[in-house]
Amino acid sequence: MTTKMNRRGFLATTGAAAGALGFLGKAAFAQDGGTLRFGLSAYPPSFDVWASNGTAAGTIKLMCHRGLLSYDKDGVMQGELAESWDVGEDGTWTFKLRDANWHDGTPVTAADVAWTVTEAQKADSAAYLQGQLATITSIETPDEKTVVMKTDGPQAVLPNWFAHYNMSIMKSGSERDSMMGAGPFKLVSTDRGVSLSLEANTDYYKEGMPKVAGVEAIVYADENLRVAALEAGDVDVVEYVPWQAMAQVGDNDSLQLDTTFGPFMYLTFNGSKPPFDNPLVRRAVGHAIKREDIAAAAFYERGAPLEHLPIADASEFYNADLANSWNYDPDKAMALLAEAGYPDGFDCTMLSTAQYGMHQSTAEVCQAYLSMVGINVTLDLPEWSTRIKKGNEGSYDLSVMGTAADNNDPDGLANVLDGSLPAAYARSYGLETPEISELFKKGRAIFDAEERKAIYKELEQIAIDTAPIMGLCWREQGYGLAGNVSGFSNMPGQLTFYSGFTLEEAMLG
Amino acid sequence: MLRYIAFRSLVALFLVWVVVTIVFLLLHLIPGDPAELLLSTGNVAADPQAVAALREQMGLNAPLWQQYLDHMAGVLTGDLGASFRDGAPVIEQIALRLPRTLEVILAASLIATGIGVPLGTYAAIRADGKADAVISFFASASLSTPVFVVGSVVILIFAQELKWLPAGGFVPFSEDPVEHFKLLLMPAGTVALSLLAVITRMSRASVLEVLQRDYVRTARAKGLSRAPILRRHVVRNALIPVLTVLGLEMGTLIGGTVLVEFVFNWPGLSGYLVSAVDARDYPEVVGIVMTISVLFVFLNLVVDVVNAMLDPRISLVR
Repeated sequence: MTTKMNRRGFLATTGAAAGALGFLGKAAFAQDGGTLRFGLSAYPPSFDVWASNGTAAGTIKLMCHRGLLSYDKDGVMQGELAESWDVGEDGTWTFKLRDANWHDGTPVTAADVAWTVTEAQKADSAAYLQGQLATITSIETPDEKTVVMKTDGPQAVLPNWFAHYNMSIMKSGSERDSMMGAGPFKLVSTDRGVSLSLEANTDYYKEGMPKVAGVEAIVYADENLRVAALEAGDVDVVEYVPWQAMAQVGDNDSLQLDTTFGPFMYLTFNGSKPPFDNPLVRRAVGHAIKREDIAAAAFYERGAPLEHLPIADASEFYNADLANSWNYDPDKAMALLAEAGYPDGFDCTMLSTAQYGMHQSTAEVCQAYLSMVGINVTLDLPEWSTRIKKGNEGSYDLSVMGTAADNNDPDGLANVLDGSLPAAYARSYGLETPEISELFKKGRAIFDAEERKAIYKELEQIAIDTAPIMGLCWREQGYGLAGNVSGFSNMPGQLTFYSGFTLEEAMLG
Repeated sequence: MLRYIAFRSLVALFLVWVVVTIVFLLLHLIPGDPAELLLSTGNVAADPQAVAALREQMGLNAPLWQQYLDHMAGVLTGDLGASFRDGAPVIEQIALRLPRTLEVILAASLIATGIGVPLGTYAAIRADGKADAVISFFASASLSTPVFVVGSVVILIFAQELKWLPAGGFVPFSEDPVEHFKLLLMPAGTVALSLLAVITRMSRASVLEVLQRDYVRTARAKGLSRAPILRRHVVRNALIPVLTVLGLEMGTLIGGTVLVEFVFNWPGLSGYLVSAVDARDYPEVVGIVMTISVLFVFLNLVVDVVNAMLDPRISLVR
């Protein structure tokens, strides 16, 4: 290569550079903290603040709203609109509010908190935490900045509810899908199905935050295009990096990959009829499937075997002695089947979906291994919406499911385990779990950490023996970031879908 | 002629009614409850009470014939209803997205005709020669490569590797015209590629046929040189069937750009239809399908009428 530079070459180079700079224009230079471009996986189906409307909606809601509490990037609970919180001897929770303003400039008051809880706990509110909130029997506001909540029994896990991204506080009298909150960003405009523009809330209660001037959230429904957009420099952050692309993003020097093991895959059973009303058969299924093959086939080695309840090994509630209770052991599986009265196996249907590759691949691996112990599985792979309906109605024998618990507390698993809750596709159908339901209740009422550990250990032991669900594998959940993005983090474990909380700290370097 | 047009318009209206009715019934036949879906996002149990309340609010508890009559009454007054998901008026969303899809189709048609007609003509003149073989091979290859393959490959080359163009998305023309056209380039080019194959083959066949005509021989006999014969006599006449095919292809594309819109994140009508079906958003689905069928039927009508004008014998046959 020659380094000699003549006049013509110099002019051409500088001309091109000037042209390129002009082209980059306002995007590159007219920044005060810059605009963070966030690649969403879907356009929020609704902005209903208390309803569960998916990961993308959760992230957008966390840009505009804040609840009483939240978690920091290490998963430790911290105050948001509440600067302190405390529980009394009688189980009464008291929250002291900090000085914070709504986007319209008016102060956040105790009355707003009381109104929010009263609205969300109504039986027909369709709030994600409606059932939990309904246990709050009275809310008092002795002054502008104090909220006192009484429950129908001691509730140790109450702070977790108020840290949930579907439990933000709204100004009294707001519409439920209003984006006028007390969060770090204000919604400026939306292009339905396409993008959302947000600007920094300069009046945010945390000094110096948010660090970027605004967020442009752009929907990339196609996972491959989402990665392509990150690689092409069209966006700075993408959610839901597809598993097949994780290595590609991680190996790219100009990008960063931030993953956590949080969400998990598992099987649910139809407990209302034979053969899966029998715990022996359910356990046999667990011993028949080699989990490593699911991690390899469905998650491109971005998964890890899950042979117990989905409690992460980093959790203080992890029980190492139970960790491999549902291990791969085909002989044991066949012995259990024989004991249950099915020495020659049986035929059944497994519900999954063809809409998401990992759900289908997981089902296929399970089918192959189950056939080896004599369980002949016919796969039922409708698209996602039909799969939800069939799951809710119990139109299946076995079904593949993937989800995350509500939080890193074992109580967050009630959503998948507790048979006393109404029928739902995330849980086994028609399967009573009286002992487990009782232990969940007990665990919520106890404040002592050691006592709680003992309770959840007992709960896990019962779950191992009765197999109300069957753990299959953990899966990595990842965000892809451009090289110059800092401050944003994928929150640990089950909290991964709370990561929108850290957008207030995101910076473009 | 007027009678012919009136008759064809009546048939067109009837067709639209049939399509809307079939779509309406099909949607209610396939499993999946919009109320339950709406409340089940994020792996949560939908409370049966809340589902029932929402069904009532959406008007889904009324008998099917009642829902059908309500819907048709709305259609006749130009009201296509509101989205189940967020209450956005369907007609507004269609008005917003239809032009975007039409823009891609129009740009693709311009590219395809601009290149395809000369290419096809050249292939016809050099029929059975080397150039013809190359062009025919190219046409077959591009016709048989699915758009999502072409789309993914161009994204890989122009966005991920060369970084000349954004990987996908949409910016309104009024906001940033340059960015708008940069974003239009790849989707339009991808649609154009398959359209180009059709136009090229059609032009080649048509030009070949016209070249055999007596008047071309006469023109040659009276000593006209090659270029004017081609320009004045051959290509002009050969264009009629090409334009007919183009018209029909454009009609098909209005509902057929789904994959291109998906791959390039172009927020047009087809992509909107797919997300509406996924969510079982009945008013949206019916509204979009109706718009597409009206446009398709209308394009066919235009093609028929134009043909009838060009060749008066057609209207007599009916």
